[in-house]
Amino acid sequence: MILSSIRNVVFGYGEAPVLNGISLEIHAGEFVGITGPNGAAKTTLLKLMLGLLKPWRGEVVIHKETLGDRGLKIGYVPQQVASFNSGFPSTVLELVKSGCYSRLGLFKRFGSEEEALVERCLKQVGMWEYRHRKIGELSGGQKQRVCIARALAGEPNVLILDEPATGMDRESRGGFYRLMRHYVDEHGITVIMVTHGLEEAQPFLDRIISLEQKESEEWTCLTTSSCSARFGPALFSE
Amino acid sequence: MFDYEFMQRAFWAGAFLGIIAPMLGVYLMLRRQALMADTLSHVSLAGVALGSLISMNPLLSGFAAAIAGGIAVEYLRRTYRTYSEVPVAIIMTSGLALAIVLMSLQTSLSKSFSSYLFGSIVAVSPLQLGVVGGIAAAGLLYFAILRRPLYSLTFDEETARIGGTRVKALSFSFAVLTGMTVAAAMPIVGVLLVSSLMVLPASLALRISGGFASALLIAVGTGLAGIFSGLTVSYYTDTPPGGTIALILLLFLVAGITVKKGVLYANKRKHPLHRERVHPKNEVKENVL
Repeated sequence: MILSSIRNVVFGYGEAPVLNGISLEIHAGEFVGITGPNGAAKTTLLKLMLGLLKPWRGEVVIHKETLGDRGLKIGYVPQQVASFNSGFPSTVLELVKSGCYSRLGLFKRFGSEEEALVERCLKQVGMWEYRHRKIGELSGGQKQRVCIARALAGEPNVLILDEPATGMDRESRGGFYRLMRHYVDEHGITVIMVTHGLEEAQPFLDRIISLEQKESEEWTCLTTSSCSARFGPALFSE
Repeated sequence: MFDYEFMQRAFWAGAFLGIIAPMLGVYLMLRRQALMADTLSHVSLAGVALGSLISMNPLLSGFAAAIAGGIAVEYLRRTYRTYSEVPVAIIMTSGLALAIVLMSLQTSLSKSFSSYLFGSIVAVSPLQLGVVGGIAAAGLLYFAILRRPLYSLTFDEETARIGGTRVKALSFSFAVLTGMTVAAAMPIVGVLLVSSLMVLPASLALRISGGFASALLIAVGTGLAGIFSGLTVSYYTDTPPGGTIALILLLFLVAGITVKKGVLYANKRKHPLHRERVHPKNEVKENVL
C-alpha cells in the first residue's frame, strides 16, 4: 500500500532547481535507503517528504488512510545530531522521555507504560547505562543513538533518518541496521533513511533510491532499485 | 525591615520576579537569546517615551512596545534562521535609538526616565505589584501547561515541528510572555538591570545542574536568594537595590563556577583514572548497537 507519493516535484534554494521533476512512491512497511553523492539534495528530499519545505511545483501526498486509526506519527532523526547545543542541560533519560510527549499531549501522566517504553528504547540502542549522563558529556555516536531512542520512544509508524549511522563504529552500524529491520518486520513501521554507507546497509534494505546528477549540476534525476533482503527476527537482545 | 509597607511590597515583587525571570532566562539562553531581555527593555523604554509624548499611560505603552518588540524579534528570527543573535541586535539598537529620539522631544520627563533606567524596587506601587503578580501567575501557568512542547522546541525546533508541536504559535507566545515580564520588571529593577535577573541565575543553573528540571529549579532558587539577600543588604547598607541584587547574583555565579571547578579538580585528583574512565571515546562498548 502506498504511504507517500511525490509527484513531479521541483524545488531549489536559489533560482535554479536542485530537484527537478522528481516522482516516487514510498510503500507502507518498507525499509528504504536514499543515497547519492554530496549535494545531491538527499536531505532536501527528506524535508520535502516531511513538509518542512514546500515544493515550487508538484505535490507531496501522504495517504493517511493507509495508516488506519492511529494516523501519521513521524519519528525523525536529523543530520549531525552531534552538533546540537552541547550545553543543553538535559540527561539522556529526560531527552528520550521527551520522545513520548507528542503521544501524551499536554496533560496525560507519564506512566509505567511510558517508563517501560523508554527503558526498552534506551536498551535497544545500548544507552541505558548512560541514562543519567548529561547529553553534553556524550560522544557524537552516543548522541546519535540517544536521538534514535528518542524517535523510537514516540512509537512512530514512519521513521525518517538523515544519515543516522554517522559517528558510529562498524559494529554499531550493523546493530543499528538490524534494529531498523526488526522495527520494519515486527512492528510494521516504514523506515526512510538517507545513507552514504550503502554497502553495509544494502542487505537490510527493501529498496534503494539513488539521486544522480544530470549534465546540468542543479538538476537531479532519480533511479530506484529493489533489494531482495528479508530478515527474520532481529539479532539483538534486550 | 518588614515593619515598612514599602519593604513588604519590595519583597513580594522580588519573589514574583525571582520565580518567573530566571525560568524565562533558562529558555532564552538555550535558544541563544540571552540579550532578549536587554533588547525588550530598550524597546519598552521607547514605548514609555512615546506614551508620555502622546499622553498615554506610560505603563501601558511600555507594555505594548515590549510585546511588539518580542514579536518583532521572533519574526526576524525566522528571516535570519542561522544568526539568531542578529534580530536581537537589530531590535535592541532600533529600540534604543527610538527611545533617545523620543526622550529628546520631551526634556521635562528626563527625571521620570531615569527612574526607568535604574528602577526602584522599594518604590513599587500596589498597582505595579499587582501587575507583576499577575504576570508571574500567568507565566507559571504557561510553563506548567506547556512544559513539554517548550522542552521539545528548545532542544530542536525542526524535530519539534515534525513531532506535531505548534512551533510558530509557541515561539510567538513565548516572545509575548518575555515582553510582558520585561515590561513589568523594568520600573522595578530598571532597564539596565532587568536582564541580570534572567541571565545570571540561568547562567549558574546551566553550569551546575544535572538535568533540565533541576536547571529550572536552581535558576529560580538562585534568583530568589539573590533578590532577597540583595534587598536585605541594600536596606542595611543604603545601596541601590537593583545594582546590589545584580552584584549578589554575579557573586553567586562566580562562587558556583568556582565550587564546581573545585569539585571537578578534587575528583580528578582523587581518581587519577577518572578522566580516562568517563571519557566518551573510552566507553565500554554496548552489546546491542
